[in-house]
Amino acid sequence: MNSIKMPKLRIGELEAKMPIIQGGMSVGISLAGLASAVAKLGAIGVIGASGIGMLEPDEAGNYKEMEKKALTREIRKAKKMTDGIIGVNIMVALTDCDDLIMISIDEGVDLIFIGAGLLLRLPKVLPPDRLGEIATKFVPIVSSARAMNIIFRYWAKNYNYIPDAVVVEGPLAGGHLGFKKEQINNPDYTLEKILSDVVNAIKPFEQQFSKNIPIIAAGGIYTGEDIYKVMQLGAHGVQMATRFVATHECDASIEFKKAYIKCKKEDIITINSPVGMPGRAIRNQYLKDVSMGIRKPFKCPWKCLKTCEFRKVPYCIALALTNAQKGNLEEGFAFAGADAYRVDKIISVKELIDTLLEEYDEAACGNGDTV
Amino acid sequence: MALFDDVRNIIVEQLHVPPEKVTLEAKFIEDLGADSLDTVELIMAFEEKFNLQISEEEAQKLDTVGKAVTYLEDKTKT
Ligand SMILES: Cc1cc2nc3c(=O)[nH]c(=O)nc-3n(C[C@H](O)[C@H](O)[C@H](O)COP(=O)(O)O)c2cc1C
Repeated sequence: MNSIKMPKLRIGELEAKMPIIQGGMSVGISLAGLASAVAKLGAIGVIGASGIGMLEPDEAGNYKEMEKKALTREIRKAKKMTDGIIGVNIMVALTDCDDLIMISIDEGVDLIFIGAGLLLRLPKVLPPDRLGEIATKFVPIVSSARAMNIIFRYWAKNYNYIPDAVVVEGPLAGGHLGFKKEQINNPDYTLEKILSDVVNAIKPFEQQFSKNIPIIAAGGIYTGEDIYKVMQLGAHGVQMATRFVATHECDASIEFKKAYIKCKKEDIITINSPVGMPGRAIRNQYLKDVSMGIRKPFKCPWKCLKTCEFRKVPYCIALALTNAQKGNLEEGFAFAGADAYRVDKIISVKELIDTLLEEYDEAACGNGDTV
Repeated sequence: MALFDDVRNIIVEQLHVPPEKVTLEAKFIEDLGADSLDTVELIMAFEEKFNLQISEEEAQKLDTVGKAVTYLEDKTKT
């Protein structure tokens, strides 16, 4: 079914049939499989690049090289499967962030989403005057108007260019969160509040550069009605991740997906990740052990995170997440959004998108919108 | 020390702390209450004021007022 009401999402000359972005999920939760399935239907599919070298079979290899190889392969695979819009999600906190950005540009991905830190300095091999020429769009992920302002101010001043869109991620999102722990449940930090701050803060930049900067809302968007609501608040699109985990096409193991189906509301907790930010995950024995001070000894495979004090942290986040991706939740855990407990079955991406479109239309009709 | 005065003014303005708290030993995060975004904004303000570029690796090392002052003195010497 095609939504008559859901608007398209335009980012520069890119045009997605519907304003839905499947959030990039690492490690190995959204690869070419999920991203291409989403893109085929006219939404935007995103490959999570962080840590994917760790999923490669060759244990003896050089992780940094394997990460580059794996990302190149996933991008090519996704682009082979669809002509739809494909993005890559990269964390600034990665030591190989610059390499992954350059691969994404060279492989011609449509968008690069950049989270877990502020992308201020460009890779050395990317001269700022190329920013306007390359087709790949830059989309920072922020959790406050302040962070957005810093990035846009820095880019405007140093590169005379601003990012092409911005994702505003609220405190209900899955994975790493751009908040302090005490902010997560504080009513001053809801997605709605931050979104309206960003809607206002972006205007001067749009004027200065005569450029529309679409705002994408993320974190706790679960139904088509939720999409409708944030769009009424000024968002031009949404980024959703938790719901895409419980799809057949999601690249994680069935055990990972089942953890979503089985979990209850009280199982969804926030942890202190070795990345240096809080993260939201599903509680299991592994996380209980860690919270009780039990260490999970490991040999740092390669210092993948700029911020990880690998001699001090109680476990290796990259290993824990790769184990979980492969289905070994005894030696790892699943990241998840605050709504993961609402997931009760695994469906196809098409069923999910159709449901969202239908719910959106219902919400729009209920509100008296006309076509 | 004109440079120190400039640095102190920037810090006072950015972090809303009284000038007397801005000593050479003061740590931005622990002593002056900066959060992660404040530290980024401070670096940006230094870059602007002294017309230079501070790399991410260098920026990470500047965790006290004294280190920032020494670094900036070094870089602005001609
Ligand atoms: C399993 C999982 C892994 C994630 N990994 C990343 C990541 O590597 N980088 C990132 O920027 N966001 C990551 N996220 C955040 C999502 O992209 C998305 O913005 C967020 O989860 C949206 O909230 P929702 O899950 O309530 O829809 C992850 C989320 C989940 C659930």
